[in-house]
Amino acid sequence: MVQRLKEVDVVVIGVGMVGSILSKELAAAGYKVVGLERGQARFTVPEFQSPAIHDELRFDVRKALMQDNTREPVTFRNNSSQTALPVRRWESFLPGTGLGGSMVHWNGQTYRFQANDFELATRTRERYGKGFLDPDITIQDWGVTYEELEPHFDRFEYLLGTSGKAGNIKGQIMPGGDPHESPRAREYPTPPMKEHFQGALFRKAAISLGYHPFPQPSSNLSQPYTNPEGMKLNTCVFCGFCERYACEHYAKSTPQTVILPVLLANQNFELRTGCQVQRINLDSTRKRATGVNYIDAAGREFEQPAALVITSSFAINNVRMLLLSGIGKPYDPGTGKGVVGRNYAYQTMSTVASFFDQDVIINPFMASGASGTLINDFAGDNFDHAGLGFIGGAFIGAVNTNGRPIQYHPVPPGTPAWGKGWKDAVLKHYNHTVMFSLHGSSVSQRQNYLDLDPTYRDAWGQPLLRMTFDFPPNDLKMAAYVTAKAVEIGKAMGAKQVNGSPRKGPYTTQQYQTTHNTGGTVMGKDPSTSVVNRYLQCWDVPNVFVIGASNYPQNASWNPTGTLGALTYWAADALKNKYLKNPGQLVPT
Amino acid sequence: MSPNNTRGWKSGVGLVIFAAAYVAQAPLADAADTKSAVPPGAVPCQACHGGHGEGRTAVNAPRIAGQTAHYIEKQLRDFASGTRENLVMGGIAKSLSDADRAKVAAYYASLSVPGVAGGARPSAALAARGHELAVQGAEARRVQACNNCHGPEGGGAGLSAPYLAGQMASYLASQLKSWQQGTRRNDAGNLMASVATRLDDTDIAAVTAYYAGLGAAAP
Repeated sequence: MVQRLKEVDVVVIGVGMVGSILSKELAAAGYKVVGLERGQARFTVPEFQSPAIHDELRFDVRKALMQDNTREPVTFRNNSSQTALPVRRWESFLPGTGLGGSMVHWNGQTYRFQANDFELATRTRERYGKGFLDPDITIQDWGVTYEELEPHFDRFEYLLGTSGKAGNIKGQIMPGGDPHESPRAREYPTPPMKEHFQGALFRKAAISLGYHPFPQPSSNLSQPYTNPEGMKLNTCVFCGFCERYACEHYAKSTPQTVILPVLLANQNFELRTGCQVQRINLDSTRKRATGVNYIDAAGREFEQPAALVITSSFAINNVRMLLLSGIGKPYDPGTGKGVVGRNYAYQTMSTVASFFDQDVIINPFMASGASGTLINDFAGDNFDHAGLGFIGGAFIGAVNTNGRPIQYHPVPPGTPAWGKGWKDAVLKHYNHTVMFSLHGSSVSQRQNYLDLDPTYRDAWGQPLLRMTFDFPPNDLKMAAYVTAKAVEIGKAMGAKQVNGSPRKGPYTTQQYQTTHNTGGTVMGKDPSTSVVNRYLQCWDVPNVFVIGASNYPQNASWNPTGTLGALTYWAADALKNKYLKNPGQLVPT
Repeated sequence: MSPNNTRGWKSGVGLVIFAAAYVAQAPLADAADTKSAVPPGAVPCQACHGGHGEGRTAVNAPRIAGQTAHYIEKQLRDFASGTRENLVMGGIAKSLSDADRAKVAAYYASLSVPGVAGGARPSAALAARGHELAVQGAEARRVQACNNCHGPEGGGAGLSAPYLAGQMASYLASQLKSWQQGTRRNDAGNLMASVATRLDDTDIAAVTAYYAGLGAAAP
């Protein structure tokens, strides 16, 4: 028995950062909005308070803030010839759940993709010629430009209060910032975080090699800040419990700290938690959505009719929602046709460990999620790729986020994996090691995609999402090249021993890499190669908007959240000023 | 209550010290409950902070025994520089050399005495609110738990976050007011001002009574 509820203007699936911003914008514009969140409501007080929130076993090892994969895992395989199996324990990537979404447990690293990234296919062809790329690579332009997104990047950074140093204000290169960044209208809302010792070591070494180090843009704040919504944030205390944890200090920008209280105070918005959306409903033409069906925590099913449906779940869950709802043509890797699930991409993470003598004291625990120092000299297209046989790159940085006792114990290669030898090595190196992160881009490739699993189902009886992914050869070449550059920086720092670990295939879900899953509902100009148009509106069902990193046609060299925030405000603008004034397809086909 | 509450306290010692001027008290520090001799720089402290650093409510001089040397030394520096405004302490701190400050700080860090019995018993509602603010925080005010930084049961944490447990309520309240008014601005990142400006007088009364009532959490 499905209970039909009263129709509302807008239903939002997933109340994380994207859902909170859009709900707030639309509720403030006078629309009745219902936000459906599968997880629980949670706030800085009481849920995120110390000492419980610093439980490394619970949050880091057992992933307490993540999607419940006893009820809703994904299945995984490296290629189409294999049988995918459910991921029973999150390791490689960590999709969050609950009010505030994955941003509750993020590190706060807040970048903008560069102008080049949004026109990657065109600019790659222009700079390196037509035959440069592996024919399996399916990168494409986004259909929106950096210049169009700049005001929305700005708005998002000012919502978060991001701490950083501008490198390019309206074309003028600013000392101390990142000279490679695309022009921004103004300085960051708050000054950069304090530099830790390993950052200083890195900075000096990078300068000695002719590179351009700059402080990592951080949404763990360097000073108290009041954002344009009137929300007040505190200064980060460098406790080193950001990623995988929630912040107890109101110092990390999350929906809870920057916007949710404003949204929840708006009478036009209703939050319903514990609501698992089963599908977006379509009318008989299958060109118009009529609302959604969801099952609440008590197991009751409801139909929530709505004039507009926005899916703002975690990237891979956006893809699954469209597949479960029959919206858009599923991608077929055999023919290369179809769009939903196409161009799934990830991030190509490598590391470099620099081991120092005992007199170099690093204190890795004095950290925050985004207090590092890095260079973009080998990121994106900031260096000449001619003759290298790959595109893309990575930022290289001493961006270590913590020194937590269970999970952080760098040891040199050859160290025993357990026992006295391992313990001795951990003791010896814990406080005398600098770990670089090499945060690499990820091209989309014909063989990598998402679809529905033919075998495994979730706790509600729906097919799981199946991920088919391995690292494209392009990205492994990139990782090898950039890692060699990073090893040189480690040596210039004066380390006794430097070990580079370029990312190598095959991709495994059993080792943590990053939660930057992208693609599957990509945006673009051409309905045959994209699910949504440049305003993130479904080509096939114009009253459905899909917003998430699932819109990225491929992934760039930086953490995706800043760019997602810009896309969110870009879409909010299109919804308020275009779509809702005259509902219909915003881009003629 | 912390199992450390009575550590180092020898009953009967020190109670006599409150009244007299510091000149008379200089030799009184008892070897039984100190780990080091009284450095000359600490002599002026005793008039107000007591012979064992136990504090004196009458002159709003906090208990300083057992605070970290890092914290005490920083406060002396900040009194001298004016980022922590206090007429009496400013003068005294300025008269101390860097070396004297370090010795005084190390001396008081080495002492261990119980807290001063603090004021009137709070009402049940006030006690509950104080406990809530200390261990949980208040979402409506966007104030996190004091104990996040000041340690479990307010016993202090790290080098920079002083203990609050067993500290006199009137002193704690005066400090929260100072953070509110900007006459104290000597922490990292203006954290205490951020917190203090979100508390009202009732909250201040509640949370300070709570910590005073915890007795001594001798470090």
